[in-house]
Amino acid sequence: MDVLLNQIFSGLSMASILLMIALGLAIIYGSMGVINLAHGEFVMLGAYCAWALQSFMGFSILVSLPIVFLAVGLVGWIIERVVVQRLYKRPLDTILATWGIGIILQQAIRLGVGAESRFVKGPALLDGNLELGGVFLSNYRIFVIFFSLAVLAGSWALLTKTEFGTKLRAVIQNREISECYGIESKQIYSITFAYGAGLAGIAGALITPLFSTIPTMGTSLVVDAFLVVIIGGLGSLVGAAVASALIGEVTALFSIVMNDTLGRIAVLGCIILLIRFRPRGLFPENTRR
Amino acid sequence: MTTKLYSDLLAFSVFAVVIVFGIPAMFGYDGFELNTFARYLSLAIVSLALALSWGTAGLLNLGQAATFGIGSYAMAMHLKLKASSGLPDFMGWNNVETLPFFWQPFHSLTFTLLAGILVPAAVAGTIAVFMFRARIAGVFVAVITLAFLVAFQLLIIEQQGFTGGQNGLTGLAQLTLFGWDVDTYSVGFYRLVAGCLLAALVIGIYISHSKFGLIMRAIKEDPDRTRFFGYNVANYETLIFCLSAALAGWAGMLYVLVLEFASPTYMSVSFSLAIVIWCAVGGRESVLAAAIGAIIVNALEGRLSDVFVEGWNLLLGVTFVLVVIFMPRGLYGLAQSVGQACRRFLKSPAKKASIGVPSEGSTQITKEL
Repeated sequence: MDVLLNQIFSGLSMASILLMIALGLAIIYGSMGVINLAHGEFVMLGAYCAWALQSFMGFSILVSLPIVFLAVGLVGWIIERVVVQRLYKRPLDTILATWGIGIILQQAIRLGVGAESRFVKGPALLDGNLELGGVFLSNYRIFVIFFSLAVLAGSWALLTKTEFGTKLRAVIQNREISECYGIESKQIYSITFAYGAGLAGIAGALITPLFSTIPTMGTSLVVDAFLVVIIGGLGSLVGAAVASALIGEVTALFSIVMNDTLGRIAVLGCIILLIRFRPRGLFPENTRR
Repeated sequence: MTTKLYSDLLAFSVFAVVIVFGIPAMFGYDGFELNTFARYLSLAIVSLALALSWGTAGLLNLGQAATFGIGSYAMAMHLKLKASSGLPDFMGWNNVETLPFFWQPFHSLTFTLLAGILVPAAVAGTIAVFMFRARIAGVFVAVITLAFLVAFQLLIIEQQGFTGGQNGLTGLAQLTLFGWDVDTYSVGFYRLVAGCLLAALVIGIYISHSKFGLIMRAIKEDPDRTRFFGYNVANYETLIFCLSAALAGWAGMLYVLVLEFASPTYMSVSFSLAIVIWCAVGGRESVLAAAIGAIIVNALEGRLSDVFVEGWNLLLGVTFVLVVIFMPRGLYGLAQSVGQACRRFLKSPAKKASIGVPSEGSTQITKEL
């Protein structure tokens, strides 16, 4: 029983991290159709940003979150302006261009900071564990779970309740007509991309105490996040949440019966099956495109 | 069409002469240099294999490295068995007592060569049937093949007792081909690899100029319309996937001969995307251009990474982003528009040409996007 509870909790924790990373990707993919393979590198930038703020300025992770969000968002904004904007008519080419950007960012960090792994302390406020029915739950992981839900709610509110969200949805539905109504679609896209990148940055900062921070950490994360987005359905935030919960929990539960690697292989197999039979994801959008 | 075939054959013959005679002469028949170049040539085969499925049929296969890896492991298994008396050493370290059944037939070279081509084709065929029967296309093909690649690499690393795990298969014997001990640092071996590349190119050029290639291009432009014409799109897509995988497996076997070890990094996501980079830089629409792209990028990597050890990847990333934005059809597209400009320049009077030609060349590119 304890084992099961433990695995369910660790699955939830993994799901929350996946959700944080996938949210930004879902927003970028859903609104612009850009498959951003540099997303993992945004996560990595966020992690290094948190590391730099902690080791040079002494900031705790919680304090540095807004700074990381703005910094990585700025990087995303620049990349959108310089590269991605030119490729909106060629979605498959965005895979290639963003992979190239990923190589550049990864190598830049390796040159600037070094290839060795960096460690970031978790916030002292959230040290310690919560004991629940004989299972110890780390406070920090619980915090990450709630934080990711808060970010999900925030993004949802941004897209549905604000003027910016209305404009973005208008541009998604019909770019030309929205421009006729005076919406600057270029700017909307730039800000959306920057927002997605910023979310990835926050995710990176949050996972630093749990993962080791190395320049190549993004590559494996982006594949997972990408699968979450595809399974969730094109740009659906709820879909991304459900898909990450599903992947996190299933991986954790599979690891009880087999070892971690085989569990992951089994999950990947399930994902392939799911895409085959529901290529539009669990929560497909019902709009005409 | 015929002029294009003519120019393709011309380019192919020039390329063949350069590869078979020019390169060895350039390096003064130096074994080490030729071995390095043979590595580029074997990578050129996998790049042209990707050009077949991606450039001709528009199916971006991000799992090409998996089929390449299967080919390389097939060859490595044969050479490992040849090197060890009885059980390969790593199996003993992993408490595997007897030789697993699927290792047994690799004692035979004929079986190995067949397996290195047919097993990748069968694996790719299975995935292809699975995907294309459901009319999966575009991005989803890329995602499924990518997920398969990740799962496959994990499996190879996980099954340490059978595959050598993270270390791969090392300490391999020399290949004996029809009584000839293949010395990988000899001109003969270089010519063998070059011959394989040229054979693969002939297959590729033949496919793209045949009716089959025409149907593939139709599928790339508009699969639904091709379906309305009565062609079974899924079958054609499956066939091109198998062919591409068979060529990739072949490349993998040669690659193991050159490097003398097999490693799970041959199946990594970054290696698979590197293949895509070579193909895109050369030009995905032409198999010859894709092969040349692989040779150029790898040769540059070999030379430049000695000079800028750390900066090389940065340079590669920047080049690649620039190629995608400004030369979406790669070097091939560039060469084509330059060629068209020249032809017009020769036909029309000089003063007309100097004004009209460059802009016409560039509109050609934008139109075909």
